[in-house]
Amino acid sequence: MIGPGIKRGTAELAVLSVLEAGPLHGYELARRIEQQTNGALQFTLAALYPMLYRMEQRGWIRGSWQTSQQGRRRRCYRLTAAGKAKLSPLRKEWSELFSALQRLTKVSHA
Amino acid sequence: MRDWEALVERQLNGIALDPADSAEVVAELAAHLAETCEELRKQGIGEEEAVWRALSEVDDWQKLRRSIQFARTKENVMTNRVKQFWLPSLLTLLLTMGLLMLIQVFGPHPWVVGLHDRNGWSLIPPVSVVYLPWLLALPLIGALGAFLSCRSGGSHLAVFSSILFPVLPYLVFFLMALPMILILNHQIAHHIMFSALIVGFFGWVLVPGAALLAGGLLAKFFLSRRLDSRRIVSG
Repeated sequence: MIGPGIKRGTAELAVLSVLEAGPLHGYELARRIEQQTNGALQFTLAALYPMLYRMEQRGWIRGSWQTSQQGRRRRCYRLTAAGKAKLSPLRKEWSELFSALQRLTKVSHA
Repeated sequence: MRDWEALVERQLNGIALDPADSAEVVAELAAHLAETCEELRKQGIGEEEAVWRALSEVDDWQKLRRSIQFARTKENVMTNRVKQFWLPSLLTLLLTMGLLMLIQVFGPHPWVVGLHDRNGWSLIPPVSVVYLPWLLALPLIGALGAFLSCRSGGSHLAVFSSILFPVLPYLVFFLMALPMILILNHQIAHHIMFSALIVGFFGWVLVPGAALLAGGLLAKFFLSRRLDSRRIVSG
């Protein structure tokens, strides 16, 4: 299980990476991240929305209201050009960090 | 069918966003909770349990309210700090000092007061004439600081600091004076400076601090209870 400190650092990268595949609303986004990380990263409502709003303020993602087939209104988030531009250096930073940690701790992929 | 929007609206009561923005947040969080609950119901979980599990996604609604407020405001960190800490703190400081000055200028001027008791006439120090009315007013000033900070969504630390801010200058003075007095005390006849410092510390830091806290914490307690009473318990 990944600790909370690392989770906070990776959360933005996780959201940007998942949204790269296409727009999603908050609930779907949280479930998608949980599924794709086999439950290692889990976002509760309390953790997810302040982060989404912060990222929206920075202009990395943009939310817009949509109505589902069941008539439910949901706010879908999509990656903006600024978000796409941010994703690449973020990936590089984290990749370098993981490689450095791997070298340091001799931890390898299972 | 559960009214998730009403529930979220009550929980986020007092969020400092404009009404349209606030309604948008409420709708979005309500949709998330409704969807979580529905998903759990599909897995065969009973309604009460599903509602409870959905609501357990938020441990502390006040904290969430502050986080959302902070994240959604276009204003920078300084603006939130101004509303939650600097404004209430400077206002309490201004009122505390201003009141002391007003009492000194416009209050009674019996610089030496005769007090008649069983033992005949005695004198009380003039400081009581100024100090006691000032001290009695401090709980109100503390309560005002707590109210302003709480209303802006201030954290416990911001509220606490706003209440106690007026005694901070005195505290700094005494802390700065302490090493000097420790050095100079032996140079002065009767070595009175250290005891005077202790008396001053009690009179201008501890006692006013306690008076400010008495009013401030009481106000915070009632404000918190008012928010709590608006919360919906599941069902």
